[in-house]
Amino acid sequence: MKNSVRSLGKVENIKGWLLSGPYWIFAAIFFAYPFVWLVMLALSKWNFISPRKTVWLDNLVKIFQDPMFWTITWNTTRFMLYFIPMVLSLSIILAMAFSKAKHFQAFFAMSFLLANVSSGVAYSIIFTQLFSVNGPANNFLYNHFGVFIPWFSSPSWAMFSIAIMVTWKFMGYYALIFLAGLQAIPKELYEAAEIDGATKWTQFWKITLPLLNSSIVMVMVLAITLAFGIFTEPYMITGGGPLNSTQTFLMVIYTDAFLKYQPGYAAMLSIIAAGMSFGLIILTRKLIERKVEFS
Amino acid sequence: MKKKVGLIFLAVIMVVALVGFSETITLKLWTAPNPNQNLFWKTLLPQWAKTHPNIKIKWSQIPAAGSSEEAILTAIASNRQPDICTNIFSGFAAELINSKAIVPLDSFPGFKDLLKKRDMVNVIKGWESGGHYYVLPIYVNPMLVWWRSDILAKYGFKEPPRTYSQIYALAKKVVIPHKRYAYQAVTGVNWWDRWFDFITDYYAASAGKPYIYPEKQVAVFNNKYGKEVANFIYTMFKNHYTAVDLGNLPFYTGGVVGKVNGPWSIPYAQKQFPNILKNDTVVTPPPVPDNYPKDKPIYTFADTKGMIIFETSKHKDAAWEFMKWVYSNPEHDVLWIKLTQMPPAREDLLANKLFDPYLKDPIFAAYAKYVPYAIPTALSAKTVSIQQAMTNKLIEPLMYLKTTPEKALDDAVAAVNNILFQ
Repeated sequence: MKNSVRSLGKVENIKGWLLSGPYWIFAAIFFAYPFVWLVMLALSKWNFISPRKTVWLDNLVKIFQDPMFWTITWNTTRFMLYFIPMVLSLSIILAMAFSKAKHFQAFFAMSFLLANVSSGVAYSIIFTQLFSVNGPANNFLYNHFGVFIPWFSSPSWAMFSIAIMVTWKFMGYYALIFLAGLQAIPKELYEAAEIDGATKWTQFWKITLPLLNSSIVMVMVLAITLAFGIFTEPYMITGGGPLNSTQTFLMVIYTDAFLKYQPGYAAMLSIIAAGMSFGLIILTRKLIERKVEFS
Repeated sequence: MKKKVGLIFLAVIMVVALVGFSETITLKLWTAPNPNQNLFWKTLLPQWAKTHPNIKIKWSQIPAAGSSEEAILTAIASNRQPDICTNIFSGFAAELINSKAIVPLDSFPGFKDLLKKRDMVNVIKGWESGGHYYVLPIYVNPMLVWWRSDILAKYGFKEPPRTYSQIYALAKKVVIPHKRYAYQAVTGVNWWDRWFDFITDYYAASAGKPYIYPEKQVAVFNNKYGKEVANFIYTMFKNHYTAVDLGNLPFYTGGVVGKVNGPWSIPYAQKQFPNILKNDTVVTPPPVPDNYPKDKPIYTFADTKGMIIFETSKHKDAAWEFMKWVYSNPEHDVLWIKLTQMPPAREDLLANKLFDPYLKDPIFAAYAKYVPYAIPTALSAKTVSIQQAMTNKLIEPLMYLKTTPEKALDDAVAAVNNILFQ
């Protein structure tokens, strides 16, 4: 009896390894190996051509002494301050609008998702044209209000304009997440609240928003990750300017690695950026994540 | 018996030698990812194959990546680099030279003959590094200013402006705020944009003097020439003769009367704005300070790229043979002009009758004329950092009127020297 149980365990064990094996192999090649190489690179001085030299934490010290590091940290913070409130509020409003639609709900949701799947390079070019000094946006503003807005050419406006673009891209996607969250809220809760005399506004603040907590946390996590990985829009539109106001972590990592031939420095910067975004995600979850029960 | 064995042995040796000598060499060639240049190589390589059956060329364009440099560096890191590569700009060449990744071309026999045959003895001088030449420049794109002759005529200007004061005079007449400006004084805020504004203007103002001394690797552009250029840019922005944002396609929409362009703009304009190019465009060298002598040629920046042979190549002599074959025949340069409309790196474009048919186009002829006066960027592996510092410390403070031209220049030179010293 004991033997048959043991051999059954062995078979299950082998089955387990066989089933998970491809994943382990995949993870080893595409995650573990690049990660180990990234850490080695971060501790090295190299220019892709000459032999690599280990410099231990020199790159880390250099990064903290580099004013550009503080500039991109501040720029990323500014981007998050513009982007997160804007995308959260607009995608919740959009999700609520979707949920009210009686017909073609999926069609509307998918239409807004189109922005998310469109090419970053293509829409960056389109936005550059739309918001240039002689583009339609400024022509409209000038004809109706007599003002021009230097969307991408003013240091105070450029990052905000990029945040607007990125909000447009991700609003539909995040709205889908919120729509799923809204559909999971039991209707009875609203009915009970109405009987108790709660206004729509109170219902939103006391029922909808608290019960959307898990969706909000998820969108926040996605938005923070995105903020540390933003590249195409500033690279295509502003080139990091004006006055470095739209330089981002990825732009500096790319330039340092491939144009200044300092992949070690860039690797260390990428580890720091990843650490910062993970830290911020943990902090966000600690601050806003709540256990939500519908019963 | 002994005789028979001897004969068989001799026959075997002959067969082995024959096989050995007729062994086909394959060279990997990477060229710029550009449709017009692709067409050039596509046309040329079958001709090589006909005359050189023993040296096969495995041609492809530089793999897709963020930039050619990125693709080449990753190829070097993974030991997949080709034997021969084009599209090498001087800053990248300097890094490859420092790392001993490329071969000095002057070590090959016939190097000097090739320079003479292609009439590029002076053109190649800007590529010298430590007394050697590692890159063979393929083309030289002088930066010239395109002016809208229709707008100039409308305001009574028979000739396009030559000096800074003439541009100011033009601006006073033509500027309509938010609609039209006189001249695009700054191209953009990317590091490479400095080639097309400050460095172009500096070469023009200084008659081609270096902004970084090559031997000592010291920045010197806070001299009198740099001051003239910085003052010009500052004055343009201060008086609203130009603007930070000039809108989409400002030259073609009339948003700006003059702007620096390379010859690569010709095919685009021919397709998109043929009438403006044909009837309303005149081309001049970059503007110069008021006291610049009238009889002195005006220099400009050369956007130039070249060909290299990697040190790792197992067939360097064959690679050199190929390079010599491509660039010793002027017919190949005729084909180059026909397909790319970029001036080849040779000084006889105006003198050699072979190029006459292409000189009928006045815009191409202007570019061809300035090839001998076009100077490449300073040969430094730190080109990107240098030009980023120029952008942050010089150009942007001037554009946004954050400081005086003198202070901006001094700050930029200090920042560049700091980079060079590291």
